Amino acid sequence: MNVTKPKIILVVIIIIAAFLRFYQLGNNPSSLTWDEAAWGYNAYSLGIDGKDEFGRFLPLDYLESFGDFKPPLYAYLDIIPIKIFGLNEFATRFPSAFFGVLTVLVTYFLVRRIFSFSRNSPPRSRFATSRGWPNGLPRGESVALLSAFLLVISPWHINLSRAAFEANVASFFIVAGVWLFLAAIQNKKWLLLLSVSSFVLSIYTFNTARIVSPILFILLSLIFWKALWRIKYQVVGATIVGIVLILPIARFLVSPQASLRFKEVNIFSDIEVIERTNQEIENDKNIMWSRILHNRRFAYAVEYIKHYLDNVSPSFLFLKGDGNPKFSTQDVGQMYLWELPFFIGGILLLFRRREGNWWIVPLWLLIGIVPAATARETPHALRIETTLPTFQIIVAYGIYQAVSSIKYYVLSKNKRYVILSSFILLLFVNFLYYIHGYYAHYPREYSGEWQYGYKESIEYVKMVQDKYDQIRITSAMGRPYVYYAFFTKTFPESFRKTAIVKRDAFGFVTVSGFLKYRFADNLNFIKEKTKKALYIDIPGRVHPKGDILKRFYLLNGAEVLVAYRL
Amino acid sequence: MKRKIVYPVLFVIIVIASVLRLWKLGDVPISPNWDEVALGYNAYSIMQTGRDEYGEFLPIILRSFDDYKPALYAYFAIPFIKLFGLTVFAVRLPSAIFGILTVLATYFLVKEIFGINHKFKITNSKQIQNSPPKADQPLAKNDQNSKCALENGKWKMENTIPLLSTFLLAIFPWHVQFSRIAFESNVGLAFNIFAVLFFLWGLRRPWLLLLSALTMGINLYVYQSEKVFTPLLLLTLIIIFRKSLFLLPKKYIVMAGALGLIISLPIIHYTFTNREALSRAQDVSILANTTPLLEENVQRLVRDKEKQDYLGLILDNRRVTYLKNIASGYLSHFDLNWLFIKGDIARHHAPNMGILYLWELPFLMIGIYKLLFGSSVDGFTKKIKAFIFIWFLIAPIPASVTSDVPHAVRTLNFLPTFQIFISIGLITAIGLVSSIKYQVLSIRIKYISFVFFFFFFAFNFSYYVNQYFVQQNYFHAQYWQYGYKEIVEYLMPIHNKYNKIIVSNTQPLDQSYIFFLFYSKYDPVKYLATGGTRSGIQEEDGNKFLNFEFRKFNYYEEKGHNILLVGSGSDFKEIFKTIKRVDYPNGEVAIRVVEKD
Repeated sequence: MNVTKPKIILVVIIIIAAFLRFYQLGNNPSSLTWDEAAWGYNAYSLGIDGKDEFGRFLPLDYLESFGDFKPPLYAYLDIIPIKIFGLNEFATRFPSAFFGVLTVLVTYFLVRRIFSFSRNSPPRSRFATSRGWPNGLPRGESVALLSAFLLVISPWHINLSRAAFEANVASFFIVAGVWLFLAAIQNKKWLLLLSVSSFVLSIYTFNTARIVSPILFILLSLIFWKALWRIKYQVVGATIVGIVLILPIARFLVSPQASLRFKEVNIFSDIEVIERTNQEIENDKNIMWSRILHNRRFAYAVEYIKHYLDNVSPSFLFLKGDGNPKFSTQDVGQMYLWELPFFIGGILLLFRRREGNWWIVPLWLLIGIVPAATARETPHALRIETTLPTFQIIVAYGIYQAVSSIKYYVLSKNKRYVILSSFILLLFVNFLYYIHGYYAHYPREYSGEWQYGYKESIEYVKMVQDKYDQIRITSAMGRPYVYYAFFTKTFPESFRKTAIVKRDAFGFVTVSGFLKYRFADNLNFIKEKTKKALYIDIPGRVHPKGDILKRFYLLNGAEVLVAYRL
Repeated sequence: MKRKIVYPVLFVIIVIASVLRLWKLGDVPISPNWDEVALGYNAYSIMQTGRDEYGEFLPIILRSFDDYKPALYAYFAIPFIKLFGLTVFAVRLPSAIFGILTVLATYFLVKEIFGINHKFKITNSKQIQNSPPKADQPLAKNDQNSKCALENGKWKMENTIPLLSTFLLAIFPWHVQFSRIAFESNVGLAFNIFAVLFFLWGLRRPWLLLLSALTMGINLYVYQSEKVFTPLLLLTLIIIFRKSLFLLPKKYIVMAGALGLIISLPIIHYTFTNREALSRAQDVSILANTTPLLEENVQRLVRDKEKQDYLGLILDNRRVTYLKNIASGYLSHFDLNWLFIKGDIARHHAPNMGILYLWELPFLMIGIYKLLFGSSVDGFTKKIKAFIFIWFLIAPIPASVTSDVPHAVRTLNFLPTFQIFISIGLITAIGLVSSIKYQVLSIRIKYISFVFFFFFFAFNFSYYVNQYFVQQNYFHAQYWQYGYKEIVEYLMPIHNKYNKIIVSNTQPLDQSYIFFLFYSKYDPVKYLATGGTRSGIQEEDGNKFLNFEFRKFNYYEEKGHNILLVGSGSDFKEIFKTIKRVDYPNGEVAIRVVEKD
């Protein structure tokens, strides 16, 4: 029998990954969310004069955007695609899809490293080198290929790779960071510098990574301290690189702005818990021990556990997925249902067999959820994307062991083929169900979630705007300014000059107009005098005397915006 | 553990179980819910007249609120109602007693399960040792370590697991919850445990198989879930223990089979032929409310047809939707939040608690792992593993086709598998911690961990006791349909002064008639003479006795004078002449009595 060549399989996997992530990237998901539009426009702006939309020169600490202080890296990564493809949906989403494909590649190398060396002894473990299926491939290699493949077809990863989610890029940096770390302590010492850089870059990319990356890195260093001791020079170098790289953002990280949005969404500001515990103490007639029993710190701890466990609920992971249609098609879970038995088997067997650096996988998974569990809205597929690809590795391990044991227990070759092919069929049907839904139904059913209608209305506005002196646009659909800047490709300098920007006490940024565009929640409140104004409003609020010029519809036929004049 | 102290310990456990199940039984939960009251009054009615509220003679199914309850619980309640009168305590007592018996039976069951391997132990361990190491699966050494630790610590799984499981069940929130209310499900669990126990004992003394068949057969009359669960359990038992079973004299097996069939025939016949009972089954199943479920599906199919998308026509099949929903229902019972933090509806758990203790979470995980991979030297043979895991996995099946999932009542049959896992986990953890030689401040880690664990356990347990016995009545009163007792006691002496008393039967006063019958202890003979209950469907008019009418009303549309209206806050939107009001403990209005001249 020929030995299967892992490289060829890997190339095929990467091609599939690229296809699943780039095919129709510009029009499915059906349109841009405001965050995506903001990434695109900021990158466009940075690419022209090195300043962000509001004029900060080469911001390294944050992009102010809507007052959510976005970590800036995604915008920088988006500069080149936008230079090449122009300011459009495809270019805006390009970095996410591109790094999504790279994550698959890096996952392969990571898993090889995880299963190839044991913690304290450099020689290759039996598992990694001993040959198994298919065709005598080293076992570590097989699990690595399987993990990469599972990530390729993962609904979770496909959904998040196909929109400009900075989380998806952060995931890449974390996966790369862990991989390079393992490579460094195993045999390629100098990669430690790259590993540190990768972890630091993830901090520039996504808020959740600011907590996950340091914890993960520190734990890895503590556990591998002996190995690190052997490569002292590299450790010193890495420390210097890390400090230099983190400097530009360090001041911002400890500033109040950085935790502004966190404070809004976290569970510890929930007043209900305090009210409840006070009532409980009162019910116990204020006895001393009741104050201990019903201490609000315990109540918050339980609250935290609840939100933590939300993220590992079977229904979220395997059946329904994230309730937010932006992160899930609502048809399948974050993973496929057929993965469930292998997931459970995989966890149990990881603990049972303890091969190579197996412990990294569950540890990483548990840490990845830590920051997301402090938020009120759980489960949250985006905020725990930092746990990828641990789920896939576990499932891959489970599948590998299952197939091995089939080979061991079922001796008849025909029977084996029947079992294997029915399993592959099940897998294929489940994948087909997801991908068919993604292309056939998803854009249509959830175009509203993707703010569909802005682009269409702006195309219309662009056509007719010369006839009017002012265009008044409702902000009921959220943050219209960024769409107008994006789709009219407004030159950044003229945007900055004419933009009417307000910042409220909570740090939120509202742009109520630029050039001849004016934005307001209620268009009647715009008091400027004009001769001829064009109105773009949601159907329910059209002025009774309005002369309707054009209506805009979601993909499911619901009316979303109306253009009219008075 | 030494044999001498096993029984005293067991006795103490039973005392703890009894205290937790009997103390303040009539007052906590604060008030009976309508199912309890219905069982109580039907029992009372059968006791006095031989007929239920509809006039059915010695029914095996109670029509009640058209939910067709299996009737056996009502019969169990009769002697206690005779003894203590028609009180909440008397109605709940059978459940509490069966709860205590379940705890006792669990000891013998778990002991029997882990005792079975005695016979096979030696041969099996030899097999393991002699089997060649699998080329494909490198052996893990860790298992050996933990085993040594166990033996060093002198923890014998076989002797400790039964007692520990029993203790855990005695204090188990989930079991305490349903032992303290008149829910048939709890009796169903007891019968399942008895049946398995008799079955396993029967492998040695074949005549006990008859008892097993008897309890299984009767169990079908106890609770709906058992109609699915008990046959599955029986099947599991037969398959796993087929070898030992077929070694027994054939006549016992035949007799047991025949006995089981004879007992269960009437209920099987009834279930499949009675249209109303079937309709109840369809009512709660997910296949019932198909319209909202399939709406999206239908739209997709239409679109697929338009686009001639043949692949779509296959994939968007409605069977796929059904399958997904059943899978979702099944899996929801393994949601850790449901088990440890939230529980489901308020009546099924203490406020702000799950149905298990939070401290049990890590031990549950360790226990599952240990049982799955534990060697037969420790007493975990393949049969034991298969039996416990299959029990664990079939328990949610009856509930998974219903629409309210997860559902703690319909899946009560999970017990006592949780206890077995947790006690194995506890013993394993103790073994592991004991093997740590490391010291902090010259105190061994093991003592520090034990003290820490004990505080955590004590904290969690006292929290539960406080939540259940003190906080529950405050926070959950409205879910227990609180308020009727006071109202009925107020109205009964004065009802003659009024022409008519109209009692609302809309939420939250659903099925108010049964509460009035129950608390007024209205003579079933008189009640049946005036026609008994006319309809079990809420919102439908018609149930009345004396000068009480139970229906929806509107203050302004009620003709006639000198009438009383009884309703909740939502029935009286304005302020009327209220002559009596009852509040929930948290101060919100429960029930109001309004006079209309």
